[in-house]
Amino acid sequence: MESQHHHPLWTRTLHACNGALLIGMASSGLQIYNANPVFGGRAGEPIPSLFTLGGWLAGGRWWHFGLMGVFAFVLGSWLLLLMQWRRQRLGRGGDLETLSASANAKKRNYAIHKILYTLMLVVLSLALLTGLAMYKPATLWWLSGWFGSWQQLRVLHFATVPVMGVLVLGHVLLSLKLGGLRLLRTISW
Amino acid sequence: MKRRSLLQSALGTGGLLSLGGCALNPLGQEVAQLTRPLNERIEAWMQATTPVPEFKRNQVEPAALLVNSFNGIPEINLDNFSLTVDGLVQQPQQLGLSTLGQLPQQEIVIRHVCVEGWAAIVAWGGVRLADVLRLAEVSPLAGYVAFESADGYFETWDLRTALHPQTLLATQMNGAPLPVANGAPLRLTSPLKLGYKLSKWITAIHVLDTLNPHRLGTWEDQGYEWYAGL
Ligand code: HEM
Ligand code: HEM
Repeated sequence: MESQHHHPLWTRTLHACNGALLIGMASSGLQIYNANPVFGGRAGEPIPSLFTLGGWLAGGRWWHFGLMGVFAFVLGSWLLLLMQWRRQRLGRGGDLETLSASANAKKRNYAIHKILYTLMLVVLSLALLTGLAMYKPATLWWLSGWFGSWQQLRVLHFATVPVMGVLVLGHVLLSLKLGGLRLLRTISW
Repeated sequence: MKRRSLLQSALGTGGLLSLGGCALNPLGQEVAQLTRPLNERIEAWMQATTPVPEFKRNQVEPAALLVNSFNGIPEINLDNFSLTVDGLVQQPQQLGLSTLGQLPQQEIVIRHVCVEGWAAIVAWGGVRLADVLRLAEVSPLAGYVAFESADGYFETWDLRTALHPQTLLATQMNGAPLPVANGAPLRLTSPLKLGYKLSKWITAIHVLDTLNPHRLGTWEDQGYEWYAGL
């Protein structure tokens, strides 16, 4: 039983916290979206309230900015710890080579798997940066300058939701394919 | 089979979570209040006392600037218009538009950011609020400034941002006289605050030492963030 826990406690905990916080960040973000849809402005189509958190614009902002610090802390410490102690588990250039060169299907799947979850961490870091760039565009003017126009910045930040949606789905399916429920247990409890 | 039931329960949990989301809505203010004091401290600490870099004049986006008003456009008689400055000041003032016109004029080309999510680069021209407050000789005990508008709109600011060199009482927009829909004859502008802090149609400025927590501003009293720094 013990030997099932291949993942240390800290990575399991941060994996779960990150997932929960992500639901809060995405749903409160979609609430903010509805005050002035990124696509179409005042004439744009709102997000159904089933997917939003906060109930109204100020409510969405309470959640989004109330959780952002915790979200940044969890993501930041997870990244640091992974790079320090589990670097070999993160994707890298070699995985791309395996992907194109290896004839071993299992090896290729593992390479995709590693690239996929590492990519999610990159996308979330970008969400944090684009979010900060919109939150403090005057104080952090140099950061806001990296992402082009305001509309481009909004689209980039919003893109976190659909991109993460696809990546999480792929990550879950691939994990199940590679290790089934056993693997799921090694990361959850 | 197992896989499918796992997927189903995952989807089910997702659905429950989003339903739970609605039940969670009232909790939001508590979540915000837990982290807001720290956020505000960091903001005030980071916030530039040095000027914010400006855009170029040819970058202005006139079409992007939408008009928001909580109560229509008020009628203001320009013939006997004057701006009141009172409260914790040595020299209370009644300033006509011609007096304001004699103060040093400044143009800033900045990004106007609305809480709704849109933004527009605008060139605003007018007098520095700091110069107006200097005329009135603000008491060292002062910490806040309140703004009253002709339409009943109300705002309060921290004195520090009010005194910032890019906080203006604007009378010009994109090189032309300020349109009435955008707040003529006098409106606030600053690169450092969200749009709802930038009162239009200002008629009076009161300098304060403390804030009344039930009268922070028209939108703040509904639940919007007070500091709203950018
Ligand atoms: C929500 C965003 C998610 C992110 C950013 C994420 C990220 C990661 C990362 C970085 C790892 C590697 C951890 C390590 O080796 O220390 C991992 C492993 C894993 N994750 Fe996720 N994950 C997410 C969601 C999920 C979900 C929803 C599930 C399943 C329901 C899941 C199942 C797994 C499994 C089974 C592993 C172990 C894979 C292995 O050891 O090869 N993850 N995840
Ligand atoms: C520390 C991290 C983050 C910060 C500082 C942040 C900040 C912001 C800000 C300031 C806005 C308002 C934008 C506007 O006025 O147009 C916003 C909107 C939004 N956020 Fe975030 N955010 C963060 C993380 C996230 C994450 C992780 C997600 C998704 C999972 C997300 C999803 C959204 C969405 C969908 C919107 C609405 C887009 C819009 O209306 O422009 N945010 N965020």
